[in-house]
Amino acid sequence: MAMTTSNSQTPGATAPEGAAPAPAAAAPEPAPVPTGHDVPRSVSVLVFLRDRGIFMLWGLLIVVFAFWCSPYFFTLDNALLIANAGALTAIFAAGVGIGIMTGVLDLSLPGTAAFASCVTGWMLTEGYATWLALLAGLACGVVVGVFNGLISLRGFNPIIVTIGSLSILTGLAAVVAGGYTFPGLVQLEFMGTHRYFRINGGETFPGIPAPVFIVAVVFVIGTIFLTRTREGLRLMAVGANGEAVRRAGIASNRYVVLGFVISGVLAALGGLVNTANVTEANPNASPGIIFTALTAVALAGVSLTGGRGSLPRVLVGALILATITNGLTIRGIQPYWATVCTGALLIGALLLERLIQASVEERLMAMNLSVHEKKV
Amino acid sequence: MSAPTSETPALALSGIEMHYGFVRALSDIDVHVMPGEVVGLLGDNGAGKSTLLKVMSGAHRPTHGTIAVHGTQHTFHAPSDAAAAGVQMVYQDLSLVEPQDIATNLNMGQETLRTGPLGWLGFVDRKAMRKSSEAELDRLGVRTAPMSRPVEMLSGGQRQVVAIARSAIRVNGERGGILLLDEPTAALGYEQTRNVEALIRRMADQGIAIVLVTHDLPLCYEVADRMVILNRGRKVADVPVAGTDRDHVVGWITGSRASMFPAATPA
Repeated sequence: MAMTTSNSQTPGATAPEGAAPAPAAAAPEPAPVPTGHDVPRSVSVLVFLRDRGIFMLWGLLIVVFAFWCSPYFFTLDNALLIANAGALTAIFAAGVGIGIMTGVLDLSLPGTAAFASCVTGWMLTEGYATWLALLAGLACGVVVGVFNGLISLRGFNPIIVTIGSLSILTGLAAVVAGGYTFPGLVQLEFMGTHRYFRINGGETFPGIPAPVFIVAVVFVIGTIFLTRTREGLRLMAVGANGEAVRRAGIASNRYVVLGFVISGVLAALGGLVNTANVTEANPNASPGIIFTALTAVALAGVSLTGGRGSLPRVLVGALILATITNGLTIRGIQPYWATVCTGALLIGALLLERLIQASVEERLMAMNLSVHEKKV
Repeated sequence: MSAPTSETPALALSGIEMHYGFVRALSDIDVHVMPGEVVGLLGDNGAGKSTLLKVMSGAHRPTHGTIAVHGTQHTFHAPSDAAAAGVQMVYQDLSLVEPQDIATNLNMGQETLRTGPLGWLGFVDRKAMRKSSEAELDRLGVRTAPMSRPVEMLSGGQRQVVAIARSAIRVNGERGGILLLDEPTAALGYEQTRNVEALIRRMADQGIAIVLVTHDLPLCYEVADRMVILNRGRKVADVPVAGTDRDHVVGWITGSRASMFPAATPA
């Protein structure tokens, strides 16, 4: 590819006197390198499709459902329903997604969620202040993240390590709950079923559900953190090439732990939101949530090799899942078809991504070759 | 040979021994590089080039011997020590973060933060980083691609230039730094190789001391001032490139030509 050496310098003068004279005679100065070879338009378009395709997919789904499920689908009420239904998945997906982007797959998520909600549930039942109980729940996420991170840094496979912690945490949650659940946690209603900004008692505007706010905050802060701050950029860099980051003189291990901690805190947050929704803390971890979250993350095209991906796409991934379920439910189609659809969509997205990626690489390669064909 | 600007070598290794168990990977190696000098480090596979490079970059600690940077003795416990002393290594795998853009890669580890409260929160100043990256590349006389382009969308030659530039920027302090290049043209085509050669010469002219590890004899003749040849862990030749016969060099590399430095005590 064209690398433009600035030929304003005088190569003849800078060339070592001892250099073999032959090439110097053949080319008195390094031949002007062809310039202007830039990434062709088709590649830009393909990359755009690869990176933004999911937004178009979601838009397409909405349009299809809007007609197919008219007049019930394309309403404000239904939009809020979808947002609320997708909120929980979105929080967990953010945790899984950030984990994968930073190069770790944290499978202990359901355990962290169950443990955190049981700790919070216990504290609320014991009469501690709500803020303290919530803080303790989130702190559980931090502790689990540090634990997972430090053990994984010892060179163990994070998947196995986090499966271990999943088991530990599920057990511990049951210990905290004494084998039962913590019911009647109405103190958490403000972050569960409560709707804000109701106008006219819900007549004019039904209000925005609390989890939607939480999701908005998580994704806005997360996106800004990952793309605009030094720590976020380094976190992503560690996910892509930890060794390179270490060689640049950065303590890359710290960022691996940070990735686990973020993942753990989001898992705890997800657990707490779920608890608030059902006003009950349940020690039984539901491993299903991690697969739903993974589906959203994979739909978002977050590469499992790490270092790539964006949170807004993960959010759309979670919303796509909620949209499909919602649309099919409105049409009265049995809900298990929704999971079939989701799976098919996921595999389709994978195939498409592979196709686009291969095409991009092919074009870039062809571009490189063209430099060789050009006689210097 | 371009005349070294100072009498003190930028990097001087003396009496380096490296043992792995009973295996003696390096014995009694003396190598130095003057500021602004390009030294080609040649040798066959297993001759000890990589080991010596790892000693220079701080990845390995030698069993014996001393390392001096600009006349000051240093002990490198880790690559970060070497980096702090002004020695930067460009790895053969380039160590770039592929999904991130050129500016971010060039500034990795020394990001420019925004001024004001956003800076306290750790917000990076992308605009400033892109600008400074462009200025640094201009200073090195290279143009690759827009600073906002991800490295994964660059060609092999561009990547190599970015990797070299990143290290060059880091050593370009007030004291001329030392750059270690590991097979910088191994993966490149003809034209890209010429570009990297020109870049190496320009960096040397800016006063950077360069150690160039390579298999590629023509590359050495093109850019190096001096050649150090290793064979089976010993230095067998240390000669200026000018006026040295290629056949002799090949002889030293393969071991068919006797060492310039007969071993005092055979192991």
